[in-house]
Amino acid sequence: MKASVCCKDAEGNMDLELSSDQINLRDNIREVLEGISSPETVRAIYEGTSTSEPVWNQMVELYWPAMSVPEESEGLGLSFVEVALLCEELGRATTPGPLLATASQLIPALTEAKATTQLAQVAAGDLTGALAISEAGRWQPQQPQTVAVSNGNGWQVSGTKTDVVSGSEVGSFVVVAPTHDQQGAGLFLVQAQDAEVSPTESIEPTLALADVTFHNASATLLLEPGAATTKAIDRITQQAVVAMAIHTVGACRRIFEVTLEYAKVREQYGQLIGSFQALKHRLADMYLAVERANAVAYYASVAIAEDDNARAMATHTAKIAAGDCQRLLAQDGLQLHGGIGFTWENDLHFLLKRAKAGELLCGSSRYHRNQLAQVLGLTEAPNRGGVQ
Amino acid sequence: MKLRFDASVEAFRAEFLEWLEQNRPSADELAAEPARSSAHLPSWARGWAQRLFDAGWLIPGWPPELGGRNAGAVETLVYLEELNRHNIPRTTNPQGVGIIAPSLIDYGTQEQIDRYAIPVLRGELSACLGMSEPDAGSDLASLKTRAVFDGDSIVLNGQKVWTSGAHDADFCFMFCRTDPDVPKHRGISIVLVPMDTPGLTVRPLKEIIHPHLPDLNEVFLDDVMVPAENLVGELNNGWRMANGALAHERNLVWLMAVLGNESAFANLLEMLPQLLQDCTLSEQTSAIDDLVGLHVDTVAARCLGYRGFARYTKGGTAPEQALMKVYTSEIRQRLALFAAELAGPASLKPSAKRHTDVGTLEDFYSTFASTISAGSSEIQRNIIAEKVLSLPRS
Repeated sequence: MKASVCCKDAEGNMDLELSSDQINLRDNIREVLEGISSPETVRAIYEGTSTSEPVWNQMVELYWPAMSVPEESEGLGLSFVEVALLCEELGRATTPGPLLATASQLIPALTEAKATTQLAQVAAGDLTGALAISEAGRWQPQQPQTVAVSNGNGWQVSGTKTDVVSGSEVGSFVVVAPTHDQQGAGLFLVQAQDAEVSPTESIEPTLALADVTFHNASATLLLEPGAATTKAIDRITQQAVVAMAIHTVGACRRIFEVTLEYAKVREQYGQLIGSFQALKHRLADMYLAVERANAVAYYASVAIAEDDNARAMATHTAKIAAGDCQRLLAQDGLQLHGGIGFTWENDLHFLLKRAKAGELLCGSSRYHRNQLAQVLGLTEAPNRGGVQ
Repeated sequence: MKLRFDASVEAFRAEFLEWLEQNRPSADELAAEPARSSAHLPSWARGWAQRLFDAGWLIPGWPPELGGRNAGAVETLVYLEELNRHNIPRTTNPQGVGIIAPSLIDYGTQEQIDRYAIPVLRGELSACLGMSEPDAGSDLASLKTRAVFDGDSIVLNGQKVWTSGAHDADFCFMFCRTDPDVPKHRGISIVLVPMDTPGLTVRPLKEIIHPHLPDLNEVFLDDVMVPAENLVGELNNGWRMANGALAHERNLVWLMAVLGNESAFANLLEMLPQLLQDCTLSEQTSAIDDLVGLHVDTVAARCLGYRGFARYTKGGTAPEQALMKVYTSEIRQRLALFAAELAGPASLKPSAKRHTDVGTLEDFYSTFASTISAGSSEIQRNIIAEKVLSLPRS
C-alpha cells in the first residue's frame, strides 16, 4: 500500500490567510457584485424578464475577464488564488453570466496551451468559454464517445458533451477528446456557432447549463495528445474543480449569513429563535462547515498556484469538503428559515439551488471521494476497490 | 498565502533538530518509565526538563532566564511540530508547564516565581490545577471552596474534583471563593497550596479505562492553612486570571490536537491492511470511504488551524479556540470509533500502559477526555454561538 499520509506533501504550509491585497480585491468584487448582481437581477433571470448580458458587459468594463490572463496577453496576471476568491464571490452573489466558466475553465486551458491570441481576446472581453468534458452526466467519462479527427487541413470534433457551465451563453468550448489515432486525449477549442447547443431545463437557470453536440465541428488544436497533455488536462480540470468547490462554499457562506441574520430577528414564544440552544448548536455546526470547506479550498488554490505536489490530493479534498458543507447548509439553511424560506418571493432559494448545483458539477463528492481514495493509495486505479 | 516556511524558520528548525539529536531522552528511557499521571515526573523527565530549560528550548518564545530564546510564534510552531514528529513529550506535567507556571510568571510575586514557577519549568516540582468542583463543572464560576484570611494565613475548606495528577503533584494552583457576597465572577481568588499541607486529602478516582492508573482525583480541604503570601495576584481577581491562564494561544493547544490527530490517522493507515484483510470487498469499500472522510477532516483541521494562526501572527484575532477544540476533539473521537469497530472483538483487549492504541475501545473512551474536559463540546458550541456569532444568550 502506498498510504501517503495526509498533508505530508504539504508540510510547512504556513500562511493560509488572504493577504491584505487579496482581502481588498475580495471586498471590491463583493461590493461591485452587490450592485450588478443583486438579488433583483438574479430574480429577473429566474423569471425570464432579463438575461445575463448586462451583468457580463459591466464586468468587461471593469476588466474582470482580464484578471488572471497572463500579462503578455494584455491581462493582469493574477494567480489562481485570486481566481478562487473571485469564484467564491460569484457563488455568494449567485451571479449569472459566463465569468465563472471563463475565469476558471477557459483561461486555465488557454494558458496551458499558450494560446496568446485567444487569451488577449478573453482579456478584452471578446471571447468567453467553458470546459466541455462531461458526457452523459459524468464529469470524467470512463469511455468518452467524443472523438477528434484530423482531415489533413484541420481538426474536426464529433460527440455530445453534457452539463457545460454557461453552455448556452459562452462563445467557445474547450473540448477534451481522444483522437482517432488512439494517441490519447487532446484539447480542442470549438466556436459556439460550430456546435449545436441545447440549453438544459434546470431549476437553476442562472448557471445557463447546456448540452453541446458537435457534428464534425471544426476545431482548433490547443494541445496535442501525449503525456504532457494528460498532465496539462489534469491541471486544467483541477482548477475547474477547486473553483467550483469554492464557488459552492461562497453560496453556502451567504446561506449561513442570511440564516444567522434571520435567527437574530425572528421571534417566537416571546424570544428570538437564535436564543434557543437547539438552533445555536446547529448554527455553530453550520459555521464550522463553512469555515472548514473554505479553509481547505484556499489550501487547494495555493497548492495549485504554487504547483505543489499535494495539488491532486488538495483538489479532491476541497471538493469533498465543499460537498459536506452544502449538504448541511442547503438543508439547515432552509429548515431554520421555516416557511418563509420555502417561498419563491424570498431570495434564499437562489442560494440553495446554486449550492446544490455546485455539488453536482465538476464531479460530485462521491466521485471525488473515490478519486481521493486512489490518490491516497487506498484503492487501485481504475476503481477496482480493495487494498493491496 | 504561501505553503512554505521562510529560510530563517527552516534554519531555526535545523538548529533545534541538531540539539534534539544530542539531548533527547532515548526511546528506551521513554518506554521504560512512562509517566503514570499528568503530574508524575519520571527520572528521565526531570533531566529532560532541565536540559530544555538550560538550552532555551523549553518555551522558545520566552527569554533565556525563563527557559526560552525569544523566538517568534512561527518558530514555536515548528518546534512543537518537530517534538511531535519525534514522539517526544515536551513535559509530563502539561498543566504545570503550560498553564500554572505561565500564570505565575504573569501574575505572581518574584518569590512565587522563584519558588514555584521556575522549579516547575525545570522539572523539579510538579503542579496540578484545582478548578472543577462537584457543583461547578462547566459553570466554573459557581465554585464554592472557601478561602478565608486569618492573620498571616489563609484557611481553605471545600472540595475539588477531576483534578488531574493531584496524587503526584507537589502543589495545587487552587481556585477558591474569597468573597461570597458579590456576583460569582468577582469573588474568586487563586491560592498556592502544597499538597502535603495538613487537612488536604487526595482520593484518586478510578477511570473507565486503566483503572489501575488513575489520573483524576477528588481533593478534600478541611481547614487547610497556608501562608497569606500564597495568594496569587490580586484578591478577587481569580476569574480574570483564569481567562488568562486558559488563553491557549501561546501554548498552541490547537496545534497539539491537530498533530495528535495526524499521528492517529497515520497509525490507522499503517494498521489498515491488517484491519481489512478478512473483510469482503464491499466492506472494504465502505471502510475506505469512511477513511477518506477522516482524511478530509484531518487535512481540514490543519488548514483551519494554520489559517487562524496566520491571522494571529498578523496581529488579528487569535484562532477561534472553541471552533478548533470542538472540531479536533470530535475528529479524534470519530477516528477512534471507526478504528475500534473495524478491528472487531479484538478492540476489547485492554492496553497495558497508560497510552492507548488506535483500534481499541479504550482508545475510543480516552477521547472523551477531550470532548468533556476544558469546556465540553456543548459548551464550546455555546461559546461559538454567543461569542463568535453574537447570538443572544439563552
